[in-house]
Formats: sequence, C-alpha cells, structure tokens
Amino acid sequence: MGTSRDIAVIGWAQTPMVRHTELTETQLLMQVITDALTPIGLTRADVDFTCLGSCDYITGQAFSFVSNLDAIGAWPPKRDSHVEMDGAWALYEAWLRLHEGDIDIAVVTGSGRSSTGDPSLIYPMEMDPFFLAPLGADPVTFAALQARAVIAAGIADERSMAEVAVRSRGTGDVDTLLGGDYVRQPLRRHDLPPITDGAAAMVLATGERARQLVARPAYITGFDHRTECHNPSFRALDDSPSTRIAAAAAGLGDAPIEVAELQAAFTHEELLLRHVLGLGQEVIVNASGGALRENPIMATGLIRIGRAADHVFGGGRRALAHATSGPCLQQNLICIVEDGEGQR
Amino acid sequence: MTRFVESTITFPYRRSLGPMLSAFMTALTERRILGIRCGEAVLVPPMEWDPATGAALPLDLVEVGPAGTVQSWTWVPAPTEQHPVQRPFAFAFVLLDGATTPLLHAVDAGSAAAMADGMRVAPRWRGERVGRITDIACFVPGEQPELDGDDTGPAAQPVEIMDYNARITYRNPVPPSADRAVELSRQQRLVGMRCPQCERTYVGGRGYCPIDSIELGEEHEIDLAHTGTITNFVIITPVQYPGQTETEPFARVFVLIDDSDVVLAYQPTIELPVADVRVGRRVAAVWASPGEEIDAGGGMGVSLGALIGWMPTGEPDIADPDLVNRIF
Repeated sequence: MGTSRDIAVIGWAQTPMVRHTELTETQLLMQVITDALTPIGLTRADVDFTCLGSCDYITGQAFSFVSNLDAIGAWPPKRDSHVEMDGAWALYEAWLRLHEGDIDIAVVTGSGRSSTGDPSLIYPMEMDPFFLAPLGADPVTFAALQARAVIAAGIADERSMAEVAVRSRGTGDVDTLLGGDYVRQPLRRHDLPPITDGAAAMVLATGERARQLVARPAYITGFDHRTECHNPSFRALDDSPSTRIAAAAAGLGDAPIEVAELQAAFTHEELLLRHVLGLGQEVIVNASGGALRENPIMATGLIRIGRAADHVFGGGRRALAHATSGPCLQQNLICIVEDGEGQR
Repeated sequence: MTRFVESTITFPYRRSLGPMLSAFMTALTERRILGIRCGEAVLVPPMEWDPATGAALPLDLVEVGPAGTVQSWTWVPAPTEQHPVQRPFAFAFVLLDGATTPLLHAVDAGSAAAMADGMRVAPRWRGERVGRITDIACFVPGEQPELDGDDTGPAAQPVEIMDYNARITYRNPVPPSADRAVELSRQQRLVGMRCPQCERTYVGGRGYCPIDSIELGEEHEIDLAHTGTITNFVIITPVQYPGQTETEPFARVFVLIDDSDVVLAYQPTIELPVADVRVGRRVAAVWASPGEEIDAGGGMGVSLGALIGWMPTGEPDIADPDLVNRIF
C-alpha cells in the first residue's frame, strides 16, 4: 500500500430515500452525481471512468441505462460501462479499471425506482425460467424458506429477528411485533424490507489523487465476490459459503474490523451473515439501519460500502461492507475499507 | 403535480428446452416426474450440470415420485395472479420419493394448520398438459395423485419448446417539461430548450442538458423553424412482432431543422413515397388537426406530440455530402 495504485473511496452521496419519487431515474442520477462530486471540488470533466448499476427490468424500458448516461455528461466521449447489478458490482468494475493504472478518478452509481412496478410480480420473472418463474416463486417466499432453515439451525429465532427489526428501524416493540400476522411464515411485515426509490453515487480515486483531494481516503484493501447455484433447491440455506469465501479472499481475518454494513433485506439474513462472517459483539452492525430501513434496489449494496467508508472518513480504522444479489443470498460481495495508517 | 403514465409490457419468450429439459417436460405430459443422476444423488428438478462442480452430467434420467415428503414450507395467505393456486396455499420444498434434492412447488392444503414438515404429498395433475412445470397444478396431502379435469393424454410429439409470456405493468413519471413540449405542440409550436452553457438545443421537453448535466426550464425555450432537410433515413420492412401495426415498408427520416443544429431522429413521413426519400430532400412539419388524438408521451422517450411527421416542400434538394453524417 502507499503506491499511486492504491484505490480509495473519497466521497459518495445518496438521494432522499422515499417510497415513491416523482423524479425519473435519470433525474435522480443527475442530482446525486453532482452531490457526490461537488464537496470534493471535482466536476464531471474530472471523471475518467463511470460505471452505472441499474436494472432495465425494474425500469420497464430496454436500454434504460442509455438515458442514464445523460446524468454523467458524456461529451466529449467518456469511458463508461454498465452493470445490470447493484452499484456495488459497478464499484467492483471501476476498482478493476483503476488498477490498469492509466486513469485516476472514477464515479460509480446504483439507481432504481422500485415503485415503477410491483416488486412482488417483477422478481419472480427473474427466477429460473423453467422451474420457478412459471410458479410465480417470489422473493419473500424464498426468504421465508431460508428463514426457516436459519431458525432450524439455531442461528436465529423469531424474537431475535424482531430485535433486528427494532434496532434497524429505531422504532417498534418486539412483543408487539411478534403479535403480528405472518406474511410468509415465519416472516412478519417487520422482517421484510421497505420498497424504496433512490440512487447513490460514489467517487473513487487512486492514491496520490485521493490524498490530494481528501484528508482521509477510505482505501479499498480487500474486494471479492462469489456466487452460488441459481436454484435454492441445491443450496444449504442455513449457510452462505459464497459470503465466507469472499470474506476470506478480501482479508477479513487479517485484522479486526470495527463496523460492518451488511445488505440484509430480511431480518434473518443479518443474523445468518453475522454468523457466517464470525462477527463478534464488538463489531457494530448496520448502525445505518441497513436495507431494513431503506432498500433502494440496485443502490442498497453500494450504500453499504458508502456507510463503511463513512466510518473511515470519520476517524475509524477498518470496516466491512457486504452486498448481495439473487434469492436467498445467492451472490455475495465483500469490500473492506481502511484508513492508510500503518500501510504507508 | 407530476403526471404518471401506466404501461404494460409483454415479453413473449420461446425457449428451446434442449435434451434434458425436453425429456423432463415431455414426461410431465405423461404424468411422470424425472430426476437426473449425479453420482449417488438424484437431482430434482433435473440439472444439466452438477450444481456443486459445474461438471456436465450424462443424460441418465430416473423416474421419481410421484408422491413425496414436505421438507419445508411457508404459507401464502394472499396469492398473486402469478401463483399456481388462487386461494391461500403453501409453497413447499417437496422431496419426491427417490430424489435427493427438493422441488419447489405449491401445496393446496386448505390451511396453514394442515401443513407440517414430513407430511406426505402427491401431485394434482392438470387434465390438459403441455409440458410445463405447471402441468402439476399443485401437490395435495396424501399418497394418491389426482387429476384436475378431463385427461387429454400425453403430448403427441416430444416437447422441445416452451412459451413464456412475462407481463409487467409499470408506472413512470412524465417530467413536467415533457408535458409542456406536448402542450406547445398542440399550438403548432416546435420548441427547443437551449443550454446556457454549451448552447446546444434540445427538443421534446428533455428538461436538461445531457452534456452539462444541468436542468433546463421555460427560460431556455426557443421556437424552431417548421422546415428542414432530410440528413439520413431508413426504410423498414415490418416484421409482424406483437404490437407491430405497419404491414408495408415505411420510412423513418432524420431531419435537420433550419437555422439550428437540431436533428429530429426517426421521424415519420407523410405524402412521401418510400422510393422518393432522399438525403437532402426538403421537408416541412405536418401537424395533427385540432382535437385529433396525439401521442401525449410518457416515460423517458422524446414525444413531439402534435408534430405527426414531415412532407416534401417541393424545393430543390440540398446538395451537401456532409448532411448524411447528421443523425444526432
């Protein structure tokens, strides 16, 4: 570390997180990219590479990411890419791109207007087209089946899940919540994420530029993502081996972490991920409220990395961020950010 | 108040099944369920590869079930239109007899109280089977398969294709600037918005400059000429995909508006035979009659509202070899 090829998060921003926005996705991105760049003293002209994470299926328009390019000011022509994934994977691509060594500044985004469609009807169509989509197999059903497995393994129970909900949202009472009806047994309303519209943008810089621009860059010191079989029929749902492998590859075990931001849209997912990652009580998990408080699909994972970076910006040493995609935590990404102490 | 426009999109997919899925789906029409051997395991639903290693599996299919055991389940108190049972039911992992992995499917048990891990279930077959996973309408408690409706028998030919129509309804916001452009078009005005920074002009109520990424408002509006020159064109022979209403070849032209740098892309032509479309041809805007229904636009696309196309002016062509390069 300490070379010009260090890569750091130097800033990020998110739009207001609302149930239903009147802005288009492009307008959300125009606002949030400006909000990410301006405090650092950068403009769009300084950006060498952009990678946008979004989903045409949610937007309801083929090539919707092409209109989103209007938000990056793509003239003169820019180096640009897109992933049909959460912005956390856009960040991964930008991080790889910066490793090539010829450019210094990248912007990544994650954006989604979940309120455009009905998530309970859209997501089943993304499942296995032969065995699952024709049944309307929905994400809450899969989450409930995973929750049952996690409970059976002794990793969670309905009470500890309700406690996660209360802590994440900063509101409610466990006993009252446990009196509610099941949406999908054993999941109640409080175990489910909200539907949220919003976007996030993040600025990356290589070492020297990063240190010129901000006092405390959040260096990305470990980054890995792994995936499992697409069909939950073939997976042990009380485990998340892809998370474990990604965390080991990202160097989770090399030094203690102080905070963890986990993309757990369902309460039991937080408990399973804590278990798999071996996070002790000393680690502060999802102080932001996580995906249970705000869940802007396609940006939720990127925001986890932003929150982890905030910990370093604010004086912390080392933080872990996790992002996920697919039913029952199918694909998992781990990003570790650190301050530069002891490495330069 | 922002206007929202609702649209329903259908994605008609025809999926070829390949040898393994074809055998599985064909067997469903015969009221048989197949798994595939994977070492000591029997995978249901069958896979073409080992889910643990990715290694291709030989096509060694084995009949399983038809009855099985519920491994896990969750109750669905309020089914959606996509669900296979239109009253409260359970989604369950069913371990079919002879299989080592569970199949997700619906169990029609009447109430959550009737569900339990370890309970025995059997398929309720549809009378009319087409080679889809929904040929099993659902599973029901007990050991005995049921038949729902008159049995039309197995497929006459192996099932090799599966149709799947994904259908989604969306609600998109229409930016107020887009509505305003349409409203101005009703007054037969072609109005652009000029960016104060780069001085480029945008039509169709885009509401922002994509070069400088700044918002544009009414103070940036300018009226544009109603005449222009065709810079490029395409003649389209329509393919009869769902929703295509054209039946004969038609033109879409790109028009450089006079006294501006604005090119309107992909414009319809009026009273201009396909054979007479040329680069350099002079054209004039044609407006919808007052009261005529127009495309009010919506979503993210550019709508020109009452500007319904372009017809020849009769002026001599413009001879400029660079024109053809202007499509934006």
